[in-house]
Amino acid sequence: MKQYLLRSASMFLLLVIWMTNVQAFQDDEGCLMCHKYPMMGRITGEGVFRSYYIVPGIFEKTVHRNVPCRDCHNYIKELPHKPVKQGVTCNTECHSITNPATGKPFSHKPIYDTYRKSVHGRDKLTKTSDSDKPYCITCHTNPLYNPKEDKPPSKIIDRCVVCHEKRQFAERWYNHTSRRIKEVRRSSEDIVAICSNCHGKKEFIERRKELAKKEGRELGPKFAFAIDSYKDSFHGKLTRIGFTETANCLNCHANEVNYYKSVHEIRPSRDPLSPTHDNNRVKTCQKCHTYADANYAQLDPHPTSDKEDNPFRYFAEMIYNWVGYIVIAGLVGISMFETFGRWRDGVGLFIRQGSSWWRKSKRGRKRVV
Amino acid sequence: MNLSDNAKKVLERSMQQNRVSDEERKDILDVVAIMPDDRVLLYKNVVSNPIGDLPRYSIHIRIQHMLTFVTFLTLAFTGLPIHFIDTVWSEPLNSLLGGVNVTRIIHRTLASVMIFSMIYHIFTITFGPLLQISRGRFDIYRTIIPTFKDITDFKDDMLYFAGKRDQRPEMDKFMYKQKIHYFAAAFGNLVMVISGSSFLFPEFWASILPTSIAAHFQELMRLSHPHEALLALLVIAFWHWYNVHLAPGRFPMQWTFLTGMITREHQIEEHFLEYLRNLVEIPEERRFLQDLLESRELVPETETPVNSKPVSEQSTP
Repeated sequence: MKQYLLRSASMFLLLVIWMTNVQAFQDDEGCLMCHKYPMMGRITGEGVFRSYYIVPGIFEKTVHRNVPCRDCHNYIKELPHKPVKQGVTCNTECHSITNPATGKPFSHKPIYDTYRKSVHGRDKLTKTSDSDKPYCITCHTNPLYNPKEDKPPSKIIDRCVVCHEKRQFAERWYNHTSRRIKEVRRSSEDIVAICSNCHGKKEFIERRKELAKKEGRELGPKFAFAIDSYKDSFHGKLTRIGFTETANCLNCHANEVNYYKSVHEIRPSRDPLSPTHDNNRVKTCQKCHTYADANYAQLDPHPTSDKEDNPFRYFAEMIYNWVGYIVIAGLVGISMFETFGRWRDGVGLFIRQGSSWWRKSKRGRKRVV
Repeated sequence: MNLSDNAKKVLERSMQQNRVSDEERKDILDVVAIMPDDRVLLYKNVVSNPIGDLPRYSIHIRIQHMLTFVTFLTLAFTGLPIHFIDTVWSEPLNSLLGGVNVTRIIHRTLASVMIFSMIYHIFTITFGPLLQISRGRFDIYRTIIPTFKDITDFKDDMLYFAGKRDQRPEMDKFMYKQKIHYFAAAFGNLVMVISGSSFLFPEFWASILPTSIAAHFQELMRLSHPHEALLALLVIAFWHWYNVHLAPGRFPMQWTFLTGMITREHQIEEHFLEYLRNLVEIPEERRFLQDLLESRELVPETETPVNSKPVSEQSTP
């Protein structure tokens, strides 16, 4: 308890130091007039407190720090605003930021549209059975701390400010570009963990199976075992031990032509455009296994011993287990029987004075001493 | 001693192969004649040196056994914590070796040593018999090749242990137990090498196999490698170590794997036919046995002809 209190106090202290040490974002729209109050929020019907408190120091550190509030909360027309019903969606246009490539307002709409067409696509506030599918923020959690956005080296920024004047601008520009130049893919372990959030949950799988049955459609053959079977596979085990060169979920299920786009348009294996479709599997395997051929593409990357999924493996494993039990039991039994037979005839445990037959025999033939 | 027909054949073949003189032949038959009919009395009364009296394994076989057992145990020691990576006990074992990535490298390196041992053994069992054939001394019954007699030996041995038979069967240099063990180990090694290589070179195996079985083969290999390893480890722990370390008379261990020699009492008890060959090939053994039997007054009062009914065919009293 003491340790817990000490830890909490330290964390709180660090948070205070950190928050007071950063410059607040520019609140041109005056949203902080209300949202600066820590207790601002509401209690939902389920009794959960939903905070509407904006901590300037924290927001300043997020990737959306340069986006004015109403670029996303575009339904707010006056202050104080009316109750929010829809909330933010990720396909709105940021009117305050221009896309330098097109000259149009910046928007996540292109990637959002791609995602909507994928097997994971859904509307944010959908009331249908798709509500258990992931939305943008399921994966993009907008972390408060990103090590790749640490303060840039001063020797570089010193050079930038010679022309660009504002040091903060130069630092942000550096972070924005350098973060994208550096590898920003998640690690294999992180990717498996994200996918496991849904595909590893029994309730989700059962619900989806039930739904597919009701709607009369077929799920992928590995849908129910996706995570468990991956973890049992070579790929899964190597990922588990931190091997970075092995395939994770996205290496096979996303098209590598443009990785960052294709991870948003994952398709079921029955879709001819899916990299895991029968027609595309050789090519997909060859991304890592250069010499993979059509036979190789038949190997099961999600092996299970489920009777319906893979009866061959199910019975092979059963035979292996029974052979193991019978062999061990048989050999131990024969050894015991042999010991019993020789022991009755007078064999001793070890050789004593040149013979191990120094015990008295129950079968009548004694050693002549 | 009244030898069985089979024992007589073995003795005769050995004498022919060793080209013994008439004088030696008489000497051998005389020694056989003074042996007690009851083989149990014979092996109970001979004197044995725990580290071995009679030759059994060549230096090549001993080196191969050493290579195989060292690599087998270390392969199990490194392979099990890789396969059971999520268990509590695998973590300290992997850490001990420098982490699982190091364990994997050690495992593969040791596997190549084991494969070398297999190849060495294949050379030995190919060229050894060829050499013996060229010298006119090859006897197929002296090899590990299973024969129908092994089945009857097994049955007779079980009857003896159950007290339904008076003598253990007259077994050859390799008895049924050793033959099962040898072929189980050979089969196991082969499975481990093939399955291990299918993990390392899956593309190669897929490319050489027919489409209809390529996937099944890979799945079977994925199952076989850990199952066969575990089964082999348990067989070694429960059976092989029992037979060579824990069985009464063998405790604390048989020295054969180091000295290449077997004790006299063990040779007579479980490899009587090989002991007859030893009597032909080693004159000192004949002298030793003769002196021992006479000193213990185990020589039968009247010598019986060698073609009378053997003891092993008599019913239990």
